[in-house]
Amino acid sequence: MTAGTQRHSPFEIQIISNIMTSDITMPFYQAITEDVNALSAQVSPAQDELQCIRREALDRFSALGLPTLKTEAWRYTNIQRFLKEYPYELLTAAATVPASVTEKAAIPQLDCYRIVLVNGHLQADISELPAGKGITIGALSAHTQAPGFVNWFNKQPHLSGESLAALNTALFADGLYIELAANAVIDKPVHIVNVYTSGTHAFIQPRHLWVLNRNAAATVIESTIHPDTNTVAFANSVLETVIEENAELWHYNIQQGNENFREVHTTAAQQHANSRYHHFNFTLPGTPFTRNNLSVALNGSYTETNLNGLYIADKSQHVDNHTYMDHIMPNCNSNELYKGVLLDSANGVFTGRILVHQEAQKTNAFQQNNNLLLGNKADINSQPQLEIYADDVKCSHGFTAGQFSEESMFYLRSRGIGEDAAKALMVNAFSHDITNEVKIPALQHYLQEQIAAIMNN
Amino acid sequence: MMNSNEIIDDIANKEYEFGFTTDIEMDIAPPGLNEDIIRFISAKKNEPEWLLEWRLKGFAAFKKMQFPKWQHFEMPELDLQALSYYAAPRKKKQLNSLDEVDPELLATFEKLGIPLNEQKALAGVAVDAVFDSVSVATTFKGKLKEMGVIFCSFGEAVQEYPDLVRKYLGTVVPHSDNIFAALNSAVFSDGSFTYIPKGVRCPMELSTYFRINAQNTGQFERTLIVADEGSYVSYLEGCTAPMRDENQLHAAVVELVAMDHAEIKYSTVQNWYPGDKDGKGGIYNFVTKRGICKGNASKISWTQVETGSAITWKYPSVILQGDYSEGEFYSVAVVRNKQIADTGTKIHHIGKGTKSRIISKGISAGRGDNSYRGLVAVGPRADNARNFTQCDSLLIGNQCGSHTFPYIESRNKTAMIEHEATTSKIGEDQIFYLNARGIDTEKAVALIVNGYVKEVLNQLPMEFAVEAQKLLSITLEGSVG
Repeated sequence: MTAGTQRHSPFEIQIISNIMTSDITMPFYQAITEDVNALSAQVSPAQDELQCIRREALDRFSALGLPTLKTEAWRYTNIQRFLKEYPYELLTAAATVPASVTEKAAIPQLDCYRIVLVNGHLQADISELPAGKGITIGALSAHTQAPGFVNWFNKQPHLSGESLAALNTALFADGLYIELAANAVIDKPVHIVNVYTSGTHAFIQPRHLWVLNRNAAATVIESTIHPDTNTVAFANSVLETVIEENAELWHYNIQQGNENFREVHTTAAQQHANSRYHHFNFTLPGTPFTRNNLSVALNGSYTETNLNGLYIADKSQHVDNHTYMDHIMPNCNSNELYKGVLLDSANGVFTGRILVHQEAQKTNAFQQNNNLLLGNKADINSQPQLEIYADDVKCSHGFTAGQFSEESMFYLRSRGIGEDAAKALMVNAFSHDITNEVKIPALQHYLQEQIAAIMNN
Repeated sequence: MMNSNEIIDDIANKEYEFGFTTDIEMDIAPPGLNEDIIRFISAKKNEPEWLLEWRLKGFAAFKKMQFPKWQHFEMPELDLQALSYYAAPRKKKQLNSLDEVDPELLATFEKLGIPLNEQKALAGVAVDAVFDSVSVATTFKGKLKEMGVIFCSFGEAVQEYPDLVRKYLGTVVPHSDNIFAALNSAVFSDGSFTYIPKGVRCPMELSTYFRINAQNTGQFERTLIVADEGSYVSYLEGCTAPMRDENQLHAAVVELVAMDHAEIKYSTVQNWYPGDKDGKGGIYNFVTKRGICKGNASKISWTQVETGSAITWKYPSVILQGDYSEGEFYSVAVVRNKQIADTGTKIHHIGKGTKSRIISKGISAGRGDNSYRGLVAVGPRADNARNFTQCDSLLIGNQCGSHTFPYIESRNKTAMIEHEATTSKIGEDQIFYLNARGIDTEKAVALIVNGYVKEVLNQLPMEFAVEAQKLLSITLEGSVG
């Protein structure tokens, strides 16, 4: 595979150039802050709207700075430790990979449209794009005049407080744009394979926007592949989704990189009346650092939201799931279930915030976070939060951390099942609450296999 | 019968029922916070050199600190320089019986429904009445002395048991713990000191009544309770304060030390002036309370009923250092009008086999804002630690807020931690059921609320449970969601 030599796609505008030419020898976080400061002073008054947005985001990033342990939302996650690890280069270049690279992410027996994104850039020759009436799908950079982009790009209120999302907005190169017109339905799941590769240690900013208009429906599965063994990639991706009235989105995200990959994954969704949003996040062993920011703003009534997460971490893996359910309108239901299995000396972090506004009467919001601590040095830090300003609501959260019960273990052992096999069996049962909700049989089977493989290892 | 809106308005507008002031000649220091004032307080109280130095260390720490910003409410502007840091009733001679107590002070207690005489006779409670910082009457002292129990004002303890005080002061809440604790360390006026010797089970509930009386005087109590090996003590603290126009800051510090197999039970009923219906006036209750289970199999239990104060901001905590030690926290917090409560607990599991239990019940009405904030931390050595936490919130009216911010940190795979939180309102079906049985809506609500908080009130000693129930019914009767 070859990392592209083209460093400035037309989409990148002149903002990027300065950063790319700077020789990054000092610690990354310092460099990035200095670059951004220099840019803020330099960038000429914006000519088009996108440039305005980038300029504003740069200023916001400069003002917010990179998160530290004193930033409340990052108190258990020291991102600077990971940013300082390698002299990352801000990479926005397109690259191409042979189709064989993506095979690793293939889900057997899954009938789907496979789309390959390399460092966020669509690689059309090995992608199959769904077609049909009302379906627009392609590179984000090619759709900046599309109505979905004009109406919705960078419009998620929850993005504004996150400095890394601001950095992404300022510097992103490309990503996947999906817009479904009213009543459009994609007949098969869309499987996006995100490949990250380059010849250098790279800091990559993919940016996606998915808009489902009235009554539209789609199922999207995301996988991540980082084939490089000599260089390290750090992805700071942002996905915005808009689910219009009565539309439905199923979104599965499978995070399973190698030890040379780190990821901050920000998903900001907004739902309108009667819409349904089902989000699944599977973080499996491999990547040493994963931070997921997931926020859902409910801008309409009678919506349904299901957020499911399963994280299985080993070695000294750090997995941080940060979720935010924003109940703005009345009569909405949300369900959140995150389960974690922490092996070896893995660190788990979970933050689940439910905010119910004063107008959001008749809200039902439930949240649950369960953890199995199996490693001697594993730990979990959890912050389930309820913030409620309406009285006629039903809200609850629950948290547990613990072990297999000795009785269950004894029961299985007494029936001739070895300790490891018994453990694998119980982890499988533990994760069943999540995997059982996966509505695509091939995907469900694939995930169960993956979990079994991890536990049998 | 009022309709629900009227009832809600009624609660939201309810005036404080215990507002009156007593005129006793005060010995007041000029307003302002500086080293001279600290030296003045220390000299006035005839303190040894080490204590003055400790106060000055506290002041040095205080000067380096900023007010925190993480709390879930807007921090009121506090002008600490405008406060006077010393106020004491002038008569300072030793008193042996109630007859010698200033009759006006006794009358104040009568108005509050705390007749010392009656309590002495009926309840068997030794009351150490703290009236604006200095103890003026102590009862049952003789009986306690017989058993070796020390129960006296802090100032007295400094004079008579300096070694004990020096050994334990600041060991649980260091002088630099937080800005309010640092301030308290620098300027604390008086408070209570209790020492239960080895193997003694304190024969009566110890209780102190705190009152805030002098205008513009921050209250800086300091309580230190040490329970030596195998001892037991139940300590009660209750407060009502007169109505005031200006905000009054209360930054007390309570330290508990439990040695091997000792048990301390600390109960609070707090009903300070909450401010008028617009939130004007009212007490700022910024208290640092912490206990340490130093010995094996020791136990500390906090119970609190918080109905007063404009802002209640405190986290009674337990450090479970000894193996198999146990910590408990039971809380009822009620807010109405524009009251704010940001309260909860911190439990640090350090020793093996440590257990903790947290039950928190929040009730929000009017435009009140109620937050539970808590930490359960399990360290790597705390094998088989066990925690159970339950936080329930009841919302009455659609203008109040109720929040839960728990922090859970587990570093030990054998630990079992459970946390659950729920938020709800009083169900119309529940009210209807009780109405159908001839119970009017006001009584029905009182009944439901009573049931809701019962788990906590059950933890209070008898006398307090009655007082607390009375308080809750005054606050909440007739509230319909």
